[in-house]
Formats: sequence, C-alpha cells, structure tokens
Amino acid sequence: MSESPILSVEAVTAGYGRVTVLHDITLEAGRFGNVGLFGPNGHGKTTLLRTISGLVAPKSGHVVFDGKDITGLSARAIVATGLIHVPQGNKLFPDLTIGDCMALGAYSPRARPHESENREKVVKLFPKLAERWRQRVRTLSGGERQMVSIGTALMSHPRLLILDEPTLGLAPKIKDELCAAVMDISRGGVPLVVVEQDIEFLLELSRQLFLVDHGVVKTEIRPGESIEHSEIMAMYFGH
Amino acid sequence: MSVFSDIFFGGLFQGSLYAMMAVGLALVWTTIGVFNFSHGVFMMLGAYFAWQLVAFGLPVVIAFPLAVIVMAGAGWILQASVVRPLIGRPNIVLVVVITTLAAGSLIENGALTVWGPRSKQLPSLIEGNTTIAGVGVSLHQIAIIVITPLVLAALWSFLNRTRLGLALRAVAQNEDASQLVGLNVTALYGLAFAIAASLAGLAGIFMGGYRFMNPSMGADPLLKALIVVVFGGISSISGPIFAAYLIGFFEAASNYYFGLYWTPALLFLVLIATLMVRPEGIFASRSRGLA
Ligand SMILES: Nc1ncnc2c1ncn2[C@@H]1O[C@H](COP(=O)(O)OP(=O)(O)O)[C@@H](O)[C@H]1O
Ligand SMILES: [Mg+2]
Repeated sequence: MSESPILSVEAVTAGYGRVTVLHDITLEAGRFGNVGLFGPNGHGKTTLLRTISGLVAPKSGHVVFDGKDITGLSARAIVATGLIHVPQGNKLFPDLTIGDCMALGAYSPRARPHESENREKVVKLFPKLAERWRQRVRTLSGGERQMVSIGTALMSHPRLLILDEPTLGLAPKIKDELCAAVMDISRGGVPLVVVEQDIEFLLELSRQLFLVDHGVVKTEIRPGESIEHSEIMAMYFGH
Repeated sequence: MSVFSDIFFGGLFQGSLYAMMAVGLALVWTTIGVFNFSHGVFMMLGAYFAWQLVAFGLPVVIAFPLAVIVMAGAGWILQASVVRPLIGRPNIVLVVVITTLAAGSLIENGALTVWGPRSKQLPSLIEGNTTIAGVGVSLHQIAIIVITPLVLAALWSFLNRTRLGLALRAVAQNEDASQLVGLNVTALYGLAFAIAASLAGLAGIFMGGYRFMNPSMGADPLLKALIVVVFGGISSISGPIFAAYLIGFFEAASNYYFGLYWTPALLFLVLIATLMVRPEGIFASRSRGLA
C-alpha cells in the first residue's frame, strides 16, 4: 500500500500580504490513501489548500504533485495537471445554471474529451441536480450548492480532489447524503484530501489525518495506529 | 401622426447610439468590476481610425470593419497597460477611474497631435434620404437603427450561447471559482475590454457619419453612457440596453415638447427620482453578472 505520495507540501510558507499564515508546513498525501485535515478555525487549512491549487503564491517552499513541481504555477496550469480544488463556502457562480457550471467544469482541454462521461457520473451521484439542470445556483439550498461545487470539480476530470469543508453548515440529513457521495467518489478511484470539522467522517474516509494548528502540522495520525475519538478531541482542544 | 413618428425615429436613433456605447461600459463593469473612463475616447479613436483608413483610399466596407478590429486591439492594450497591473488592489475601482481618465486624456491629446483640431466627417454607412411615415430620415440613421439591435443580439448570443461567453459571464461572478475551473482570467479581462472598445469604436463610426468629428467628441457620449448604465442597473447588459432606448425616447419626446434646452435637466431629474426609488437601477438584478 505504501506508494510514493501523490502530493507533497515541502516547507511551505505562505500568507496574505505581510501576514504569514503557514509557517514552514510540510506534509505528504496519498501514500496511504485519502488524507484528512482538521484543526481549529483560522489556523490555515483553507490557506494551505489555496496555496496547493495556486490561488495563493507561497513565499517559500515547494508543492509537488505526482512528481511534478507545481510551485508558483497559475491556478489554471494546476487545473490542467488534474489537481482539482473544491473551495470552502460553495459561493460558486450565483447567476449561472447548474448546466452552465458543469460546462465550465469541463472547460480545460484535459477535461473536455471526458465531458459526457463525467456528466453521467455527476448525475448518477447527485440525481437531484439533474432535476434542476436549468435552475440558477442562487436559488439552490446550501446542500444543493455543495453538490454543484463537487459536481463541477468532477467535470474537471480530477486525478486528485481537494475538498474544503464539504459539509460545513449543512443539516444532518443532507450532510449524510454528501458524506456518502464523497465516499463514493473515493471508491471510484479518485484520491482525496479533505478538510473537515466532522472528525468521525474524516476517520471513516481517510487513512491518514493531520492536525493543522497555527499554520503547521502539529500531529500526524498514521494508518494502523488505533486512535480513539476522544484522544483526537483532546488534541483538538487541548492546547 | 408625424409628431409621433418624429419622436419614434428620433428615440430609436438616439437609443441605438446610447445602447452601443453603454453596453461596452456595462460589459467591462460586470466582468472586471471597474468603470472605464476612457470609453468615450475609444469611441473617438474608432471614428478617427475609420477616417484614416478611408483617407488611405480603402472602401468603406473594408475600412469600417477594419477600424472596429483595430479598436479591439486598442482595448486589449489599454487593459493590459492601465487595468491589469492594478487587479487585486482593494481600491481598484477608484484607481482605475484615475488611470483610465489619464490614459484617455493622453490618447485624446495624441489624436489632436496626429489628426489636428479641424473637424472631419466620415462617409455615411448608406448615402441618401427617405421618408417614412411622414418623417424625413437619412438612410445612415436607418442603417444605425437596424445594425445596432443586430450587433447587440450577436453579443447576447455570444455571451449566452457559447462556451467562451459562458466563461466571461462566470468571471464576472466569481474570480476564484473561475480560476479553479481553469479559466484564463487575464485573457478574459482583455477580451471584455477588446469587445467594449470595438463597440465604442462602432458607435464612433456611426456618429462620425452624421456629425463632425473632433478629438473630444467622446466626452458627451461617455457621460450619456454612464447615465444609461446607472439608470439601467450595472448588474447586467440587458438592463443598460433597455435603458438606452428608454432614455432615447424620453429625450426625443422632451426635445419635442420642452426643447433642447430643458432636456438634460429633465433627464437628470428623472434619473435622480428613479435612483431614489430603485437605487440599483430600474432593470437591475441583485448581483454583478452578465445576462
Ligand atoms: N484573503 C485573506 N486576506 C487576509 N487574511 C486572510 C485571508 N483569508 C484568510 N486570512 C487569514 O488567514 C488565517 C487562516 O485562515 P484560513 O486559512 O481560512 O483558516 P481555516 O481554513 O483553518 O479556518 C486567518 O487568520 C484568516 O483571518
Ligand atoms: Mg477554512
């Protein structure tokens, strides 16, 4: 099972303007399967994902995806490698229809040839979206918008999918639906890096967890280590 | 009956010119979120390029489209030089007002140096006059009334029926999400400016065919386009198009009943009253976005 990592973040320092959020952070993902990231709010998880996908340029360090150094590439160039990021907060394109979003997902030349095959996958995963294909995103519920977010990313034909709090703020029923869909995507062969507050979901999904705290990886939980939920909660809050 | 047709044709004609100007301003606002104050200068430049090409001896059917294409390049260059470097700044709206005003004034003075202060005139799109419903109109005006909706319809289908148009609409709504699906945001910004400059250039060619041209001919149309865009709502391109025709008809009627002198004052009165009731403009929706 121990393969080479699909994604490695090597001593990355990044932030916004003069504010540094990530301090020399290092982690490897994909060697053992899916990766979960958790930690208190405001400690740099979103910034880490934005740095990986090229929305934030790191001040130093390297990001390597599948053996290729992608540090400093534009977000567009990174999308072209198949590293796809579902951002936090499902803001999306409020005045576009679901169908428009799916067409945009398949915009990159890499994804274009797989458009109809991926559309079928998305519709199978989220039948709700098919019923509302011509409806504007702004008129959808939070859960439906998250489905559109994930669906759009699947249209981009991901080789690695990074998800930022996919179940944030959702009602329990729709949350379960989304968790199940994310598990489905993983079983379909797409490796995942997921930021989540719901530790139980992360434990179910991932073989490796990182606790991000003050812009560094504070604790790594390796596969095989049996770990109690309560211990994680202690790590989470005990500092 | 002839009063009605007078107002009708006058309104259609003015409305067409306003729509052609305003739609480019709205396009740039919705995609990039800045106001381009060199839009009036684009109009002037389009007219002068066309005049120069005609002076070189090119026939109108080649010179005019060529001038419009050259304007696309001019718009792209302006965007790359005074807008793109500022993107991401928190005060971008104000800064771009200043940089585009500065660039506009530079270009205007350049035009004055190159072409001189003497007024010039472009050939009409179609020579001749005709009488419709008791009103004498020039075929040039008829051509403008017909061509404008066709161009605007073409723009609308481009934005709503093509993948590239979809990309432009997307970038207007969420830049981060656009980057995350692999859109080339910088190129799309350039494209928005290129299209806007072409449309302004075409408006300049329209105007140069029935009025004398001079290097500051774009100032008044820019002001009108701003009024149209504010009146129609800056969140879409269909809002300003409707508003342009509405204002065209309003002006034509007001010119007829109250005279040229009172029309600008009345127009502002209506504008202020409208904005007090609907601050987002009469045809606006809630967000920035092309539709
Ligand atoms: N666009 C931004 N500009 C400036 N600071 C930001 C921006 N986005 C996030 N931050 C700051 O960066 C820090 C980390 O935020 P974030 O990466 O969103 O954390 P998390 O996802 O772990 O909650 C916070 O202090 C936040 O205020
Ligand atoms: Mg976050």
